Amino acid sequence: MSEISPEVPDNRQDAPSHVDPNSTRITKPGVKRLVLTLSVLFSLVLGFPFLWKSVEIYRSSLPFGEISEMESNPSLSFPCRFQAVFINFNSNPSPNHLQLSILDKITELTSNSSQCGACANDLALSVTVDSISSCTQTHPTDNSNYYRCGAISAVDFDFSNDDDDGVDELLESVLGVKNVYSVVVVNGGGEGIRAVVGKYRHAWIVGSVEEEEEESVLVSRVAEIFVKMFVNGGTENGLIHGEFMPVGADRRIVLSFNLLNAEPNDWVYDWDFQRVDETLLAPIIKVLGPIANISVESQVLYHTPKSSFSYWDEKWKSYIFSTKDLPFFVNSNEWHLDTSIAAGGRSKILQFVVYVPSAKECPLSLLLPTGEISKTNGFISPMWGGVVVWNPPGCLNSETNHPSRHTMSREDLQAVFEVFMGQFRQLFGLKSNNLYIGASGTYHLLPSGKGFTEWELDVLSRQFACFNLHSCATTLGSLSRLVQSLPRMIIMDEIGKLVQFSLEAAKLAQSNASLGDNESSAVSSGQARSLAEDAFFHPSIMSISYYSFEHCFAIYSPFFLPVSMHVLLAALREWKRYKQEKAKYTAWKAKVKVES
Amino acid sequence: MAILLSRRSNLLAVVVLLLCQLFLYATVSSSGSVLKQGGGEEFSEELLLKPFPDRKVLAHFHFQSRAPHSSSHGRHHHLFPKAIAQLVKKFRVKEMELSFTQGRWRYEQWGGFDPLSSNNAKPPGVELWAVFDVPQSLVDVYWRNLTHTLSGLFCASINFLESSTTYSAPELTFKPSFGNLRYGTLPREAVCTENLTPWLKLLPCRDKAGLSALMDRPSIYRGFYHSQRLRLTSSESGSDEVDSGIGLDQTLTVVLQPSSWRTGKTYSVETNIQPSWSISSIFGRNIPGKCVIAKSSNVYLQLDNGLVGELKNLERENAKYVANTFESEGFQSNHAFKISVTPDKVFEEVDNLHGKSTSVIYGFSVEKYSDSQPFDLGLTWKIPVVWSCQQAPLHASRFLMGSGNERGAIAISLEPTESSEGLPTSHIIDGRCELRVDIFQVVPWYIKVYFHTLQVFVDKQPRAMADVVDKIRVSPSKDKVSPGVMEMILKLPCGSKSAAFSLEFDKGFLHIDEYPPDANQGFDIPSALISFPSFNARMNFSEDEFLNNSPILSKFQETSPVLSYTEVLLIPLTTPDFSMPYNVITITCTVFALYFGSLLNVLRRRVDEEERILRSRAGHKAGWISQLLSRLSAKLRGRPQEQPTSSLPHSFISFRLVLKILLVASIAVTWQYYFG
Repeated sequence: MSEISPEVPDNRQDAPSHVDPNSTRITKPGVKRLVLTLSVLFSLVLGFPFLWKSVEIYRSSLPFGEISEMESNPSLSFPCRFQAVFINFNSNPSPNHLQLSILDKITELTSNSSQCGACANDLALSVTVDSISSCTQTHPTDNSNYYRCGAISAVDFDFSNDDDDGVDELLESVLGVKNVYSVVVVNGGGEGIRAVVGKYRHAWIVGSVEEEEEESVLVSRVAEIFVKMFVNGGTENGLIHGEFMPVGADRRIVLSFNLLNAEPNDWVYDWDFQRVDETLLAPIIKVLGPIANISVESQVLYHTPKSSFSYWDEKWKSYIFSTKDLPFFVNSNEWHLDTSIAAGGRSKILQFVVYVPSAKECPLSLLLPTGEISKTNGFISPMWGGVVVWNPPGCLNSETNHPSRHTMSREDLQAVFEVFMGQFRQLFGLKSNNLYIGASGTYHLLPSGKGFTEWELDVLSRQFACFNLHSCATTLGSLSRLVQSLPRMIIMDEIGKLVQFSLEAAKLAQSNASLGDNESSAVSSGQARSLAEDAFFHPSIMSISYYSFEHCFAIYSPFFLPVSMHVLLAALREWKRYKQEKAKYTAWKAKVKVES
Repeated sequence: MAILLSRRSNLLAVVVLLLCQLFLYATVSSSGSVLKQGGGEEFSEELLLKPFPDRKVLAHFHFQSRAPHSSSHGRHHHLFPKAIAQLVKKFRVKEMELSFTQGRWRYEQWGGFDPLSSNNAKPPGVELWAVFDVPQSLVDVYWRNLTHTLSGLFCASINFLESSTTYSAPELTFKPSFGNLRYGTLPREAVCTENLTPWLKLLPCRDKAGLSALMDRPSIYRGFYHSQRLRLTSSESGSDEVDSGIGLDQTLTVVLQPSSWRTGKTYSVETNIQPSWSISSIFGRNIPGKCVIAKSSNVYLQLDNGLVGELKNLERENAKYVANTFESEGFQSNHAFKISVTPDKVFEEVDNLHGKSTSVIYGFSVEKYSDSQPFDLGLTWKIPVVWSCQQAPLHASRFLMGSGNERGAIAISLEPTESSEGLPTSHIIDGRCELRVDIFQVVPWYIKVYFHTLQVFVDKQPRAMADVVDKIRVSPSKDKVSPGVMEMILKLPCGSKSAAFSLEFDKGFLHIDEYPPDANQGFDIPSALISFPSFNARMNFSEDEFLNNSPILSKFQETSPVLSYTEVLLIPLTTPDFSMPYNVITITCTVFALYFGSLLNVLRRRVDEEERILRSRAGHKAGWISQLLSRLSAKLRGRPQEQPTSSLPHSFISFRLVLKILLVASIAVTWQYYFG
C-alpha cells in the first residue's frame, strides 16, 4: 500500500538490537516528508492570493478625493462689473474716495453671506462724478464698456418728475451695456431720497444731497443696490434658497395648470385656457427662453375635494382654512394631477391648481397667521407649484339645486393668473411685489411688462448654474458614500466614466463662470448634473449589485476547509515529529560521543 | 412647506398690457355663460345588462370620451384624459386596443355571434394591439415605448411586450394593415384592482358618481368573467371633419352570478327558473344619478333573440288565455317576467338576416335619478324559461396532443354549432359552397413548431392542404428573437361535419435566466384567434337619432366580423433544478477535498513505524473496545489476531476514554446552551 523510506530498514538492520526505538535514534531523521508537506502548505498559501484576485469584484476606481472636494465647495464665482455715476454734484467729491467707500460697503454686505453666484473675488467698480463743470472718472482695468462722460447731461432729462418708465428707457439708451450694472445718482429734485431699480441693468437714486452724512447714505444705498438687487436678485434670506430651482437638468419646465371642481354636483366651472395660454403665458415663456424651455398644458378635474378641514367664521363671513392646514390641503389621493407623458426625461413639472370649493365650503378663505384674510387666497409649495382657491361668484346665495355649467369669466381668470405669475416668480425665488425694503431704505422695483426684468434673468441664469452644480455635487457625494459603504458592490467602468465626465463638466462650468460666460456655464453645469444623475441611476447599480461574502464563502468552503485542515495538520505533525526525532538523534549522538 | 403670497404682484403691468389684447379676442361667450361641452369634448356613459341562459347576468359598462382635433395640439383638456391625449400624440397611435381579462368567455352558453361577444370577448390576460402612424422602420421603436408607457399608466407588466419574442405583426387575418400593426398578448398576467383604478382615473367622474359608482370591487371581481378594455382611435384632421380627433372607448364587461333574490315565494320545484335580480343585488350598490359632466347616461336591458323567440312561443301557447299583451306593452310586464322600472325607450331589432326572432333592448335614462332617489333596475322571472344564445358558425377548440417533455402537437378543431346541420351555407363562390375561416396563432419561440407537419382533416378524413387552405402566411420562430406566427385563410366545404388541424412541435430549452418564477407551472401559449369574415355581427334597429348618440347601440350597429378566441394552452417544459449549480459545486469540492486529503496522508505515511507502534500497543492490555476493534481489523485483514502480551492497568485507559467522552459531551451541552 505504501512505499517505505529506504534508509529506515537499512538503519534498522545496522542498529543494535537492544536500542529502543521510542527513546533513541541512531540515524539522522529524514526530511523528505517534511519537505513534501511544507511545500504543499506553501503552495497553498502562495496560491491563495491568486484565488483571491480571481474572485475579486470589479470596481472601477472613482475619484473620491475630487468628489469630496467638490462637495465641500460647490460654488461658482462670476465676475461683477459695476459702475456708479454721480451727476450734478457741486461739491465735487473725489471719485477715488467714493469708489473706496462703496467697495468697503460692498465687502461689508457680502461678507456675511457666502451665496453661490456672488462675486467674491472678481469685482470691478468704476465711479464717475459728472458735473457740468468737470468730469472725473476712475477706471478699472478695461475701460471700454463704461460710461462716457457727459452722456446723461447731454440728454438733459428731468429726473425729478415721476415718469419712471421714461427715465428707465432713457438710461437704457445711454448706459445699455451688457454685463455692467449701473447706478446713477442724481443730485436735485425734491426732498428725500428716492431709489428706483429699472427693468434693465441699472437703477437710479434721486435726491438732494448737500451734507457729508447724506453722501455716506448714498454710498450705502448704491452698495445695497449692487449687492442685494443685482447680485442676489432681491431675495430675502430664508425665503427660498438657491438650491430650489424648478428647472429640469435638460432646461425644461412643464407648467401644468389644473382646474379642480371639488364637487361638480354643486357647480361645474370650465375655463378658456387656450386664450390664456396665447395671451398671458406666451410672452412670459418667450422672455424666460434663455433660462428654460417652458411648455404649458392644462386640464379640468372633477370630484376633487381638499383633504383638510375648514370652519365657518362669522367675522369673515366665510369658511376659513389656516396656514397650519396647508400641508394637508393638497389631496394626493383624489387630485390626479398626473405627471406628464409629454414631458419625459428630466423635465421639471410645476403644478398650478385652481381650486373651486363646493357649496358646503364656499366661500373658502385662507387665514394668515397675522389674523388677516389672505388677499391672494393661495399658497405655493417650493419645487411643486402653487394653489389658488377661487370662490365662484355668488356662492353664498346659491339658489339653484341642480348643477349648472359655467365658464370662468375673463376678469376672474386674469386675477387668478396674476396670482399664478406671482407664485411662479416666488418659485424661482424672486420677489412678487414691487417694493424692496433694505437696510438703508426702500427701493421701488420697476415691473417689466414681460414678467421678468433683465437683471432678474441674469440672477436666474447664475442661480440655475449654481443649482445644477450643487445638485451634481450632492448626487456625486451620495454616490461615493454608497460605493464606499458597500465594499463588495460591482461598479462598472461606465459609472467611473460618467463620474469623470461629470466632474470635468463641473470644472468647465466653474471656469466658464469665472470668465463671465453665464450661458455656457449654465449649459455645462446642466451637463454635469445630468451626468451625475446618470451615474447614480445606472442600471448596473440597480440590478444585482451585491455579491456577498457569504455567497463566496459558501461556494469555496466545501473545498478549502477540508483541504487546508489536512495540509495544516500534516505539516504540523511532520514538524513535531521531525523535532522529536532530531532531539532523539542528537541525544544518541551525544551519548555515543560520551561512550566513545 | 408653504409660503404665502402677497397680492401686489408686479405682474399687474402685464395684465394691464394684455388686457387690451384679450378684449380683441373677446368675441364669443360672455362671462358665466353655459359652456358648450368643454371645448367640444364629450363624455357619455352607458350600461347594458343582459340575462344569460345559464342563470348569470352580463353587465357591460361603456364609457366614451371624444376630443375633437384642436389647434392647441392636445395640450389643453376639459374632459378628455390628458394622459391619453399625450400618449396618442407622442407615440403617433392611430388605433389601439388594450384589454385586461380574467376568466374565459363561454361561447357555448353566452353566445358568440352578437356584436357584444365579438367585440368584448377577449383572451385571458393582457392583449394589446396598436396601429401606428409612422414609417415601417420606426414601428417597433414606437411599440416598445408605448408598452413601457402603458405599463406605467396601468400598473401592469405590459412592458414585457417590449421584447421582440412576445409581439408579432399580423398581416393577413387580424386586421387590414400595412405593416404598421403590432399585436402582443400576455396570457399569464393577473388582473386586479390595481389595473382598474388607473383605468377609472381616465373617466372624468372616476367612480365617484354616475354608472361607474356601481363598480364595487368585491362584486365585480367575484364574477365569472371580467374584461376591462380600452380602445383608442385617432384621426388627423382634414381627412374627415366629423370623425377627426381622438375617441376613447372604455368598456368593462363582467359576468356575474346573481344570488337568489326573491321575496316570499319559493320555487323549489322548478329548479330551472332563472334567478331574479336587481342592480343592487348584483353589485351591492345603486346608481346615484348620472355623472354630471356626462352628455348622456343610460342603462339598457337586452333580451337576446333566443329568449325573445322562446317568450313568443310561450306567448302563442298562452294566446288563448291572455290577450296579446306582448305587442302592445312591449312586454315589460307580461306573464313571464317583470321589470321594476318602466323603460323610457324600447328598441326592437329589425331585419334580422338569420331568421327566427329578433332581440329587444329596453332603454332607461338615469338623468332624472339622484342620490335621494337612486336608480335600481330589477328583473323578476315568473315562469321558467329555457333558451340558448346565438353562437358562432363554428365552435373552435384547441388542445394539446402527445406526452412527455420532448415533443407534442397542437390541434385546433372546428365543429359546427347547435342546430345547423353541417357547416352553415352562406358563402358561395363559383358555384361552390364554401365557408371562409381565418386562423391567427402566435407561438412562443421555445415551442418549436414544424409548420411542414400541418395536417388537415375534414370530416375526420385527411385532406391535402391545397384543398382547404386558401392562403397561408408563416413566419417561423427564431430562437430568442421572434415568435412563430401562423396565419391561415381556410375555405371549408359546406356541409362538412368537422374540421381539424394539427401541428407538431419540439419543446425547446431555455437558459436558466429565462425561466419565469414558478416555472414548474408550465408555459402559456396565447389564444388563437378564429374569425369568420363572411359573417357579420351586426344588429339593425329602425332609424332613430337616439341610436347614433348611444355608444353601445351605435357599436352594435357597426359591421364587425364574428370572432372567437380559443383556450390558452398550458405546456409543461423541462424545468431544471435551480439549485443544481450549487449542488454541483459542493459535491465536486468534496470529492476533490477527499482525494487531496487521502493523497497527502498516503505520501507522509510510515508503514513500518506504524506497525511497530501497533505491535507495542497490542502488547498492552487494551480496553474491550480496542480489543474488539483489533479483532475486527484482524478479521478484515485475514490475519490471525496477535495476542496481547503484556497488560497495563485496564482502568487507566477506560478512565481516559470516559474523560474524553465527558469533554465532548460538555462541549456539546455548552454549545447547545449558548448557541442552540
